[in-house]
Amino acid sequence: MSLSSFLWILPALPALGVLVNGFFGTSWRERKIASVSVGSVGLALAFALVFAADLFSRLPGDRRLSMSLYRWLSDGSLTVDLGLFLDPLSMVMVFVVLFVGFLIHLYSAGYMKGDPGYRRYFVFLNLFIFFMLLLVLADNLVLTFVGWEGVGLCSYLLIGFWYEKTSASDAGRKAFVVNRVGDFGFLLGILLAAVVFGTVNYGEIARLLGSDPAVAPGITAAMALLLFLGAIGKSAQFPLHVWLPDAMEGPSPVSALIHGATMVNAGVYLLCRISPLLEAAPAVFPVIASVGLATVLYASLSALGQRDIKRLLAYSTVSQIGYMFVAVGCGLYSAGMFHLMAHGIFKGLLFLAAGAVIHALDGRQDLEEMGGLGKELPGVSLTFVAGTLALAGVFPLSGFFSKDAILWGSLGRYGLLFWIAAFAGALVTALYSGKLLAAFLGEKRFEGSLHRPGTVVVVPLLVLALSTLAAGLPGLPLFTEETFFARFLGMPAHTFLAGEHTLEGVLMVSQLGLIVIVLCAAARFFTVSRKAPVSEALASGFGVDRLYERLFVRPLKTMARFCFSVIDSRFVDGLVNGFGALSMALGTLVAGYQSGFFRRYAASLAGGAVALIALSVWFQGGF
Amino acid sequence: MSLESVMVTGIVLFIIGASGFLLRGNAIVLLLCIEVMLNAVNLILVGFARYLYGTEGQVFVFIIMTVSAAEAAVGLAIVVALVRLFGTADMTRINLLKG
Repeated sequence: MSLSSFLWILPALPALGVLVNGFFGTSWRERKIASVSVGSVGLALAFALVFAADLFSRLPGDRRLSMSLYRWLSDGSLTVDLGLFLDPLSMVMVFVVLFVGFLIHLYSAGYMKGDPGYRRYFVFLNLFIFFMLLLVLADNLVLTFVGWEGVGLCSYLLIGFWYEKTSASDAGRKAFVVNRVGDFGFLLGILLAAVVFGTVNYGEIARLLGSDPAVAPGITAAMALLLFLGAIGKSAQFPLHVWLPDAMEGPSPVSALIHGATMVNAGVYLLCRISPLLEAAPAVFPVIASVGLATVLYASLSALGQRDIKRLLAYSTVSQIGYMFVAVGCGLYSAGMFHLMAHGIFKGLLFLAAGAVIHALDGRQDLEEMGGLGKELPGVSLTFVAGTLALAGVFPLSGFFSKDAILWGSLGRYGLLFWIAAFAGALVTALYSGKLLAAFLGEKRFEGSLHRPGTVVVVPLLVLALSTLAAGLPGLPLFTEETFFARFLGMPAHTFLAGEHTLEGVLMVSQLGLIVIVLCAAARFFTVSRKAPVSEALASGFGVDRLYERLFVRPLKTMARFCFSVIDSRFVDGLVNGFGALSMALGTLVAGYQSGFFRRYAASLAGGAVALIALSVWFQGGF
Repeated sequence: MSLESVMVTGIVLFIIGASGFLLRGNAIVLLLCIEVMLNAVNLILVGFARYLYGTEGQVFVFIIMTVSAAEAAVGLAIVVALVRLFGTADMTRINLLKG
């Protein structure tokens, strides 16, 4: 029995957690619920490590575990299996999902203590892990789509977790609706793949693309763009990014897990997964890269304008995912996935630490009320600073390695102008990182005492902070595309400017120097000036929300009101009520005949019989 | 005896029974009227049986007689129950079937 036939165990464990907590947990104490939930994810993580060890022990070309559970549907030539497979690409995602997910589960056990929805929270969180693993492990587009929609559902449920708050339930709905736009493209892409290739299996599609050059490049490009639209929606890229900042209405660990570390990265994963398709349609790469770059610039500037710590982190997430899209758009899948892993860890850390800070400040999220936190909360501050430095890309934290690889690739692939824009994004990142750091420096800016976080909250933070340090190591050795990470991933690699090590070294050092200078200057500036100037345009994300409100929301609402007041009230209700009135009228017409005197009934019986006989005789031609 | 005279007697008997049923009010009289109608049909059946030299008509007569005996038993029981309930057997004053 080979190891691959046990792949189902990875998604099955969190699913079991959902069932156990969902059906039996109603009367359990919080401790028991949390241990079931955290335990199921922890056990899955242990199994994932076993699978990882197995993958490592194989030869690079042979790193692939697959199994088919069940033939889901079969229609002529198109068949869809419930098939799972694990290759280095999905292994990276499984690792991020389960490692960060496990720590966030642990953190939540302490963070959500005393919430009336404790059990509901953990059921949703486990359900999310289940769907995320399904998304990642699926061996075909349709099953990926199932996981894709499943994580979307969990995201909706958890954003609106505190549903008594109107803003929270509105934000959940917004996330759901905006994702519909992307999913529409994804679904069309799947249908196109099914029509063109007659299969939705990733391996089959890659094989067909390799063997059959008869597929028109236009078709593959259309397919890739449709799937890319799905990725834009899920990964909150411009112009479908509007849901992510609002999604911060959910609990902080949810923002960390879903809207920082895992789900929003699914788009990048999808693009890497369909890399054979992208390779067959090279015209798509500039589109991906430019969407990514636009997002980087837009979102990092918007982040700079935020006062709410979580909204700032949300915009930062959008811009960092933009970097991953830039990497994929340069054909550097391994750099993109590396940044995904690094970002998953440090952004998870930042959100969790922000949650701890907000909790300590009694729910205050305004950065201007934060200051001098370093002295008050040394443990949390240390981890937050580590995360911020990684975000800015300071050596030797993970963000440095991944961002550097992406910047270098963008210079090689798209030239100087593109690189300048991408690097400008990195400098803005350093600016708002400085704004974050300022919360921990300088003087105290708030009244009252702080709530110190418990051990369960601090331990995951420390583990994640250490991981941001360790996550840079797979990015070694420098000055080559053949990093440890890239070699493990084994994705097709494009090399640009090979051998230009002097230039790369000079750029690397000067980039780092500039970033550090900007970071320090920003930290000092935001520490000293109590009221930081905030541009209205930046704070509102350049008014994209208002634009969408005008363009889509209001017309839709007007149309809905019209449908309600005219079509529904007048026509539909009129039709239904009309039928009611008609039968009432007919009823009163006949009801008078029901006198209850059976003599009348007998008379009508006799009369009817005579009439029938007379009729039949008449038609027979009698008389 | 010709078929016509039998038929006419049967039809006249049936009309007497039917109009009695429709016009009279007492429950027992109504039951008697039903018997008259049944026997009018019986008469016609026997008349046709004799006219056609068959036996099917005679067989039906026996079946109808059996059923009418059962019906009379059930009907009388209902009449007794009605009288106990309403204190009268006048069907023109009972309209429980009114919907």
